[in-house]
Amino acid sequence: MNAKNKPELRERLAAEYALGTLRGRARSRLRRWMDDDAALARAVGEWEARLMPLAETLPPVRVPGRVWREVESRLGAGARTGFWDRVAFWRPVGILATGAMAALLAAIVLVPAVKPTPEVDTVPEAYIAVLSDAKTQRPMLIATAARHDARLSVKALDPAILVSGGSLELWAVPRQGAPRSLGLLETAHATLKLVANADRTLGEIPLLAVSLEPRGGSRTGAPTGPVLYSGPCVKYW
Amino acid sequence: MSEDPQAIALAGWLAAAARRDRAAFGRLYAASAAKLYAVALRILRREDWAEEVLQECYVSIWTHAPDYRPGLAAPMTWMTSIVRNRCLDWLRRPRLELSDEDGAITEAAPSDRAGPLEELELAKSRSAVARCLGELEARQRQAIALAFYDGLSHAELASHMREPLGTVKTWVRRGLLKLKGCLERQEQA
Repeated sequence: MNAKNKPELRERLAAEYALGTLRGRARSRLRRWMDDDAALARAVGEWEARLMPLAETLPPVRVPGRVWREVESRLGAGARTGFWDRVAFWRPVGILATGAMAALLAAIVLVPAVKPTPEVDTVPEAYIAVLSDAKTQRPMLIATAARHDARLSVKALDPAILVSGGSLELWAVPRQGAPRSLGLLETAHATLKLVANADRTLGEIPLLAVSLEPRGGSRTGAPTGPVLYSGPCVKYW
Repeated sequence: MSEDPQAIALAGWLAAAARRDRAAFGRLYAASAAKLYAVALRILRREDWAEEVLQECYVSIWTHAPDYRPGLAAPMTWMTSIVRNRCLDWLRRPRLELSDEDGAITEAAPSDRAGPLEELELAKSRSAVARCLGELEARQRQAIALAFYDGLSHAELASHMREPLGTVKTWVRRGLLKLKGCLERQEQA
């Protein structure tokens, strides 16, 4: 059987693979086909994207703590403590969540008995933006600020993005009107001072963006260079 | 990338985990493990198996975090696929000798998933595909739900639903096509 020139067959096999009804040797064979048939791999990816959200209707089940301990012991060397340990604003649960956060909270709240799962009894009350590379869509920067704090923490996931010839400038992009500079990113983990607390400076900001500017930043007060990274800014509480 | 804050946070943690940040990976685990455990437990119906699969999957998620592409799949989609694939592979193992001494497996056997409560859950779900599933004809909905949630193969579906193999295959195929159509209509709306 060859799925290459049979779009209907390819579509059916991709759907049954994602659903899980394609089994046994047929399943293994399809996996091998995906390696050299990009259209088939894409069709499977599309069906997975369609079907996997069905899992959201399953109520979360508390995981025994030994699972995390076993995972951690198998991660091996090379792992290090990072940025998320240092974020200061994670605080205990005790606040009500609404809307899209409810599912995340449900997962977190169900886990606290699992120790020593790291920080499972905490939840962010903050603004967070993950800025992705405009070309590759890979997340490159994470910006966070506690609601009542006037400091914005910006962490470069890859320190190599810092450029020597120019400056990376971070902008708050409002729904209407001109972008406002939040400052220059000069280190892999920068802390930028906001003009007022995050609720006031980021509350109405749907998007953060980074542009490449002349050394020292834009001289006009508006972005002049290419926008390298951008991403939605959302409020958690 | 989706603007769902949960998806953004998971993508951020995954990206940091790809840079070998173990604390970020711990947060990713804390926010997702209970959901993925539910997926594995439902398919495998044995806690010890589900725990072992979950462990293997998180080690795999850690290893493959650098390969994750947010443009292609939401973080939960990517991780759920890893877990379901691993569960289905697990069911193939020859050592699957179903000794069910305490009857736990029989009790947890797939139930009829076309009841009114189930429909209500699907209808109020925030996931579009769950709402679309809720709109399918009862037998198509039941076949797809049993295949997705309980991991039943075509042959197992036929035996469970007491219908010929060809009939259940048709239900699954038509149901999937209708789901796709329903999702495309929702996207346009």
